[in-house]
Amino acid sequence: MKVMKRLKENMFLVVVILVYLIMLIFRPGLSVQGIRNSGYYIKEMIMILPVVFILTALLDTWVPKEVILKYLGSGSKWMGALLSFVFGSISAGPIYAAFPFCTMLRKKGASIQNIVIILSSWAVLKIPMLLNEMKFLGPTFMALRWVLTVISIIIFSGIMGKIIKEKDMIENEPQVMKGVSVNQDACMGCRACVRNYPELFAMDGKKAFANQNYQDLNMEQLKHAMEGCPVKAISYNEDSV
Amino acid sequence: MDIFTIGLWIITLGLLIFSFIKDKGKTLISLKKALSMGRGMILSVLAVIFAIGFILAVFPAETIAAYIESQNAVLATVVAAAIGTITLIPAFIAFPLIQTLLKAGVGIMPAVAFLTTLTMVGVATLPLERRTFGTKFTLVRNGLSFVFAIVIALIMGVIL
Repeated sequence: MKVMKRLKENMFLVVVILVYLIMLIFRPGLSVQGIRNSGYYIKEMIMILPVVFILTALLDTWVPKEVILKYLGSGSKWMGALLSFVFGSISAGPIYAAFPFCTMLRKKGASIQNIVIILSSWAVLKIPMLLNEMKFLGPTFMALRWVLTVISIIIFSGIMGKIIKEKDMIENEPQVMKGVSVNQDACMGCRACVRNYPELFAMDGKKAFANQNYQDLNMEQLKHAMEGCPVKAISYNEDSV
Repeated sequence: MDIFTIGLWIITLGLLIFSFIKDKGKTLISLKKALSMGRGMILSVLAVIFAIGFILAVFPAETIAAYIESQNAVLATVVAAAIGTITLIPAFIAFPLIQTLLKAGVGIMPAVAFLTTLTMVGVATLPLERRTFGTKFTLVRNGLSFVFAIVIALIMGVIL
């Protein structure tokens, strides 16, 4: 069962590995070339992901929610949009490197519109990319594309801010459970909560869960565990206990 | 490593040292958080990387260029945008490729459409994005990015 669950969670990886194995039999050249191509991206990942993770975690620890809410929240208006463009433009690495960074900002109150601006400018308006573009395609091409892209991003981030609601951002809203609960969709199985409060939390395969029969809840320790959860998946519902 | 990656490392290490001086405990917790973020993503990212590697092996840049060339301008733009969505290619490979496309007479519209969807829309990263932001966000963001990639391309084609 556990093996099946793990396979299901990493379905995409399983499919990719299968494709490689099948091709290794029929067209070995393709698989070898694929692995060779991947080498560059792995190097890129090793250079950029650790620094993005560390920076994200540090900002998460030191920048209070109020600050993010003020500068990037829905009330931040054009200032927030401008800041988002700047954040995205000075970034490095592929768009997926922006995912954990944006998750952290969103949990601290950044608006959906600003998240979209950061993601999009991270993808197409990065300064290193613009410099390269100027070299290969000329300054006129680069400048025109930059202007048009900025306008497009402003328009479609506005559209997204309108049609995406806060509740759409999390798959399968966690049910409101009494007492302590772990949002199974957010949990990524890092075991931080099990370490912080071993009496209450335990692992079920790759996900953590709260022992519902646990009686003497220590609020200090629970708070510590909730804050220690990198994805803020632990919730505590006082009223229904 | 380009200057921006190096800059990011320097800034981050500086902040890390500063954070360590200010509060050792909090810093260690931050590092643990960073580590668990990495563990949460590493398998998905590897899957994406190997998928891209394979797609590029099946469709090398020359094949893509040859295929786009053979279409008429508007169709070529849409086709180029669509091909761009399949994979995420870093800019440093994308620009020489686009230069090749332009020199081969593909035209500016398909080239711009390709460039924009290449970096903004990713089918290979869909599962990862969906897990991070939810289905609706992911579909709308990628869909709108695709539409605007074509709009940007058309406008640039008219102006240049």
